[in-house]
Amino acid sequence: MRLKRLILSWLFILAITTGSIYASNTDNHATPLDTKAEEEVYVSKTIPQMLVSFYYTTGLKALISPKDGVKTSDGKEMSHFAQGLGRIIMFGIVFLLFYLAIAKQFEPLLLLPIAFGGLLANIPIANMTGDHGMLGIIYNMGIANEFFPLIIFMGVGAMTDFGPLLSNPKTALLGGAAQFGIFGSLVGAAMLTEYTGIFDFTLKQCSAISIIGGADGPTSIFIASALAPELLGAIAVAAYSYMALVPVIQPPIMKALTTVEERRIVMKTTRKVHRLEKLFFPIVVVMMTALFLPDAAPLMGAFALGNFAKESGVVDRLSNEMQNSLINIVTIFLGLGVGSTLASDKFLVVETLGIMVIGLVAFAAGTAAGVIMAKIMNKLSKEPINPLIGAAGVSAVPMAARVVSKVGSEARPGNVLLMHAMGPNVAGVIGSAVAAGVLLSIFN
Amino acid sequence: MEVDLVAESIKFMILGMLIVLIFLMVLVEIMKLQARLINKYFPQKAPTAPTPNISQDEESKRVAAIIAAVAEFRKNQNK
Repeated sequence: MRLKRLILSWLFILAITTGSIYASNTDNHATPLDTKAEEEVYVSKTIPQMLVSFYYTTGLKALISPKDGVKTSDGKEMSHFAQGLGRIIMFGIVFLLFYLAIAKQFEPLLLLPIAFGGLLANIPIANMTGDHGMLGIIYNMGIANEFFPLIIFMGVGAMTDFGPLLSNPKTALLGGAAQFGIFGSLVGAAMLTEYTGIFDFTLKQCSAISIIGGADGPTSIFIASALAPELLGAIAVAAYSYMALVPVIQPPIMKALTTVEERRIVMKTTRKVHRLEKLFFPIVVVMMTALFLPDAAPLMGAFALGNFAKESGVVDRLSNEMQNSLINIVTIFLGLGVGSTLASDKFLVVETLGIMVIGLVAFAAGTAAGVIMAKIMNKLSKEPINPLIGAAGVSAVPMAARVVSKVGSEARPGNVLLMHAMGPNVAGVIGSAVAAGVLLSIFN
Repeated sequence: MEVDLVAESIKFMILGMLIVLIFLMVLVEIMKLQARLINKYFPQKAPTAPTPNISQDEESKRVAAIIAAVAEFRKNQNK
């Protein structure tokens, strides 16, 4: 045993010493060799030389000693920080996202592929996000051209039941009021730029960030890739993490704005909705989009198609496909594509911090506006309206509605607000698509 | 910087909230209208659950018929 180890260590030392001699020799000749690289033939190397040159191809080397001339996926010079420490920080962030997705169940369906995309995007040398890299191909295939979010929206449409909204149409206004989260935070983002001097957002970027307040993942990604693709990663991560945090963010705001008596209000049971009403609804939405807001047509069109397929009752195969396999496949691609924007050079910028702050404000403002609107409606309308359901106006289907139901039943056990909250909840999806259309129309 | 970002964004907010609310208000009115029209011209059939209406007697007659039919079918098959 000992003999064997002795021989091995001797061999090793020998290898290193000869290797270093060879290495110094080849260093001298390196330049003339490189110039005639065109017809370069295979040069025999010793084992130590091969080990050394292999080391130069490892990520370890690239992380430890960044070099000049490395390009980011969009062809810019990559800073040394982004190549080295930045990537290591991103690995840490990605692991945190894994933890949130798996242990805390934060929107795992999207956060997990996004985080994994981020992990792959930060592998040095591999250039996964380049035009010919796996993530780059996915990104160009469906994110750069805003295609994937629409397919997701189609699936969401096929999963959405507008019955609760149709049975009590006026709750749609709550879904409108909650869009104040978008526009309020748009002003907030502009103020941050104007008065703090830390951030330098353009109007387009402000708009793209504020759409986080719509609490709707596909809409956020759609708008971000249309208006500010450079911020897409941070916007998507903020949107999905805050959506997952709805049960934490919303209840304190809801409780602060309502009295216990208001929270205890019992609402009338919903009426039964005629099948034809449900069938006509997506067509009505598309026609209204066509007349008033063609810029929202991609979002509304996809959404209405999914819903129409479901409510028609004759194309169950298509509707099931949209709700299941199609949306699942696209979710994988969407996640990886968004994850590709978590490359250190794009994500580790001061703007990300601003996006996280504004996103949180947007969620809070949307919730507050919805609740206040519901309070006003409760005062004006004959039928009692529990102000809590206004909070469901930020989309985040169906999480926000569940939160409303939970807070409601805390105030009065047995008071089930879920179906009443679903009305503003699905109206919120339409509301944020309209808001998205307005933002797009301003810049077109 | 030429444009005042804040002033501009406040304009966006007014326009945006206005359009969103108007869009949804129109939608609400259309929903109400169509609910009224549909329920007027295509009234929801009163809950016509057929099974509970069938009396016990009728049910047993049915079962008898089915049993007879199956028996007849089996007999023919065995031939």
